[in-house]
Amino acid sequence: MALLDQKNNNVSITVFILCCVHTIMTRKENGWQEHREDFQRIPELAINPLGDRIINAFFPEGEDQVNFRGFMRTLAHFRPIEDNEKSKDQNGPEPLNSRSNKLHFAFRLYDLDKDDKISRDELLQVLRMMVGVNISDEQLGSIADRTIQEADQDGDSAISFAEFVKVLEKVDVEQKMSIRFLH
Amino acid sequence: TAHSPSLRPPSPALCHQHPQLPSSPLPPLRAPLAHPESRSPHAVPGPIPSVPLPSLHSRPHPFPLPGHAKPRKAFPVIGIDYKHVRIPFEISLWILLACLMKLGFHVIPSVSSIVPESCLLIVVGLLVGGLIKGVGEKPPILKSDIFFLFLLPPIILDAGYFLPLRPFTENLGTILIFAVVGTLWNAFFLGGLMYAVCQLGGPGLNHIGLLANLLFGSIISAVDPVAVLAVFEEIHINELLHILVFGESLLNDAVTVVLYHLFEEFASFEQVTILDIILGFLSFFVVSLGGVLVGVIYGVIAAFTSRFTSHIRVIEPLFVFLYSYMAYLSAELFHLSGIMALIAAGVVMRPYVEANISHKSHTTIKYFLKMWSSVSETLIFIFLGVSTVAGHHYWNWTFVISTLFFCLIARVLGVLVLTWFINKFRIVKLTPKDQFIIAYGGLRGAIAFSLGYLLDYHHFDMRDMFLTAIITVIFFTVFVQGMTIRPLVDLLAVKKKQETKRSINEEIHTQFLDHLLTGIEDICGHYGHHHWKDKLNRFNKKYVKKCLIAGERSKEPQLIAFYHKMEMKQAIELVESGGIGKIPSAVSTVSIQNINPQTLPLERVLPALSKDKEEEIRKILRTNLQKTRQRLRSYNRHTLVADPYEEAWNQMLLRRQKARQLEQKMNNYLTVPAHRVDSPTMSRARIGSDPLAYEPKEDSENLPIITIDPASPQSPESAELTSEEPKGCSGLPPSPEEDEEGLVMRVKEPSSPGTDDVFTPGNSDSPSNQRMLRCLSDPGPRPEPEEGEPFIPKGQ
Repeated sequence: MALLDQKNNNVSITVFILCCVHTIMTRKENGWQEHREDFQRIPELAINPLGDRIINAFFPEGEDQVNFRGFMRTLAHFRPIEDNEKSKDQNGPEPLNSRSNKLHFAFRLYDLDKDDKISRDELLQVLRMMVGVNISDEQLGSIADRTIQEADQDGDSAISFAEFVKVLEKVDVEQKMSIRFLH
Repeated sequence: TAHSPSLRPPSPALCHQHPQLPSSPLPPLRAPLAHPESRSPHAVPGPIPSVPLPSLHSRPHPFPLPGHAKPRKAFPVIGIDYKHVRIPFEISLWILLACLMKLGFHVIPSVSSIVPESCLLIVVGLLVGGLIKGVGEKPPILKSDIFFLFLLPPIILDAGYFLPLRPFTENLGTILIFAVVGTLWNAFFLGGLMYAVCQLGGPGLNHIGLLANLLFGSIISAVDPVAVLAVFEEIHINELLHILVFGESLLNDAVTVVLYHLFEEFASFEQVTILDIILGFLSFFVVSLGGVLVGVIYGVIAAFTSRFTSHIRVIEPLFVFLYSYMAYLSAELFHLSGIMALIAAGVVMRPYVEANISHKSHTTIKYFLKMWSSVSETLIFIFLGVSTVAGHHYWNWTFVISTLFFCLIARVLGVLVLTWFINKFRIVKLTPKDQFIIAYGGLRGAIAFSLGYLLDYHHFDMRDMFLTAIITVIFFTVFVQGMTIRPLVDLLAVKKKQETKRSINEEIHTQFLDHLLTGIEDICGHYGHHHWKDKLNRFNKKYVKKCLIAGERSKEPQLIAFYHKMEMKQAIELVESGGIGKIPSAVSTVSIQNINPQTLPLERVLPALSKDKEEEIRKILRTNLQKTRQRLRSYNRHTLVADPYEEAWNQMLLRRQKARQLEQKMNNYLTVPAHRVDSPTMSRARIGSDPLAYEPKEDSENLPIITIDPASPQSPESAELTSEEPKGCSGLPPSPEEDEEGLVMRVKEPSSPGTDDVFTPGNSDSPSNQRMLRCLSDPGPRPEPEEGEPFIPKGQ
């Protein structure tokens, strides 16, 4: 399957893809296209605070459908980083599941207006979604302020991608943002 | 009636029976008194109150007896009664020796950097044991009862209560495989090989059967948590390796217990049937899961109890200790794994208990656990040394050397094979360097010794040889491996532990990623790690937290709890470090122009404090706080709370710190309309009577609101404030900054020249700060009913 821009299309990837796609695609009537409603039908996504954003991440700009290839591209971010991939030549395009691309994916979920910065408002929105309704606005505000203060280095009171990466340098992103499937 | 005879001086008839009775043991004393010939026939004294009797007879007889020509001694002014205090005295002496040794090692830094503490302690034990033996006394041996019931639980509880849960659960599969399969492999491999050696080893060893060898193998194969902790604590390797080896040493207890009891029982059977083996296999699950269940039950009960302790804060730590110890004992009662019960109890109770108890209790628990476990560890190693000297040994070259050799080989082989298998399933693979450290870190310790000591002589007459071999292996692993692991870690450049604390960024983004991954997993229909963790968290939030956490903390999300903890820690650090004029260096100069201006908040105006009221407050505080330094405070253990002076001082410091933060925030940030709500901090503060966390209850109408007006032309200190800000923001409209308590201050009067000695922090403090402090010192016209405001006269 040459759907993905990966250097190694071994059978395991195919198996992985098919296994996870099967769950959704079996609910489909019209071929290999996904619509937003199909995602929204998944009950667990409804209670996930980031549910909407995740769904939107699958769909390219402004469109309402995603084809199989696009779907796989998004999911490919979550493949675990193989050891042999690390030593591959640096000439080719960076694989989708590299650390930097994984972090970029997460960054895009924060940054809704796509200005390459997580502003205080965007941060507040995310915090509000994660924390629920019991906390007051100014408490969240002070947390957001503190967060930006910790991360901000160039003084623009927003978190750019580089700062985002720096803050998460101690977190094991390769492990956290990978889904283990059958090998 | 029946009891009174025992309280009177004994009658002459009885006297003859017991002039030579020993003072301490009681039972012989009862026997003669149970047959009173001279008394009324029906009066057989029932339970004799035992307390007065020994003392009655231990001192020289005070009454001169008729018919007894006893030489009259002079009244003893000073006497020696060692037997009376012998046992507690000796115990205290040993513990004191252990502590002094620990002290000594750290006074001599050069030695302790090369040799790990455990080695030094064993050497000390050897010396002390040799000394005692040289004097002629019989040195005490580390009895298994004392070890398992008193010395081991504190160490395990300390480990379990402070177990880093995230890495533990993330690596649980790996840890379990190492613990269960690894230990089984070690035991059988070693046992089998030793059997072969015994068969070939000549007449001295031929009689040792397969089962005895298997039992020996199971005793010696378990990695010891005490030794691992002692050595790994000092080398600071990265979290992953630490949790792998340490987790393995904790969880293999179940396997060890099962195998030990299994082989011990089997050794007395003539034949071992398949049924026995199946039952043995079954018992493994019973032991491990049963132990965990017992621990979980006690943990839940402890969490539930802590919900109601808001009025008796003093004994909160005791609940934690007692419930955990009971869990351990209950598990040991049923031959379940006590260690797993203890770990499970600690892990389960911790999040709920910490949400319920006061800050002081938390500190108490932490320090008591560290203290006990430290002393226990020291004692264990010293006693290992002493027991080596004291015990009977039977040295057989073949047996001991081959045990040592095969132990090492078994460990290395086991780790290699298991890692190859595990790496197929891990995302972050274990490198050969990691494997080496894991294999090298498999230290044996006192548990093996105690288990060997428990062996019965009748069934196992080669017990001495076993003990010798066990001690040799322990010495080898602790000395050789323990000493060389540190240079090896440096040589191999193994990743070390990162000391930095978790930042709030990490916390937020980690949670964010958790949600993200859960969502992705749901899309894929893949029920992985994140899915179950998310389900557990929801269940926890919905049902469990409501039951086990008191008050409004139960609704506090994890992120907020983390944030509060961090703020509190910072506040305490600031206070402890003197805090004066030291604004944290993480302050960034934010250019305010980029930030969208928000609407001006409503300015709440309240009458400023009048001068004489301020003066009065200051005077009261000065006199009372000065008194504190001279008084010797006597604590009433029933009311830890009622120390108004300490409380006032602490409040003062905390307010000052908050004022500083206030100012700093105002200098840098956009402000948000001050809109008060009952934050969890405050409700927690109300529930806990901890002065550091105390803040007055907010009330929108009555509290003084303080606003600093940086651009206002009248206030002379506005110049200072603006000078701290970056250029271009002097035109910023004044905006009161919200605070945790929503306290905002308006400074109206010009700065006064005088400054208090009590409050003067130093030159760098701006007058506005002092003014804020002085105003903040007034807690408000409506003080908190429980706390009371001791330094403000009531009715103000």
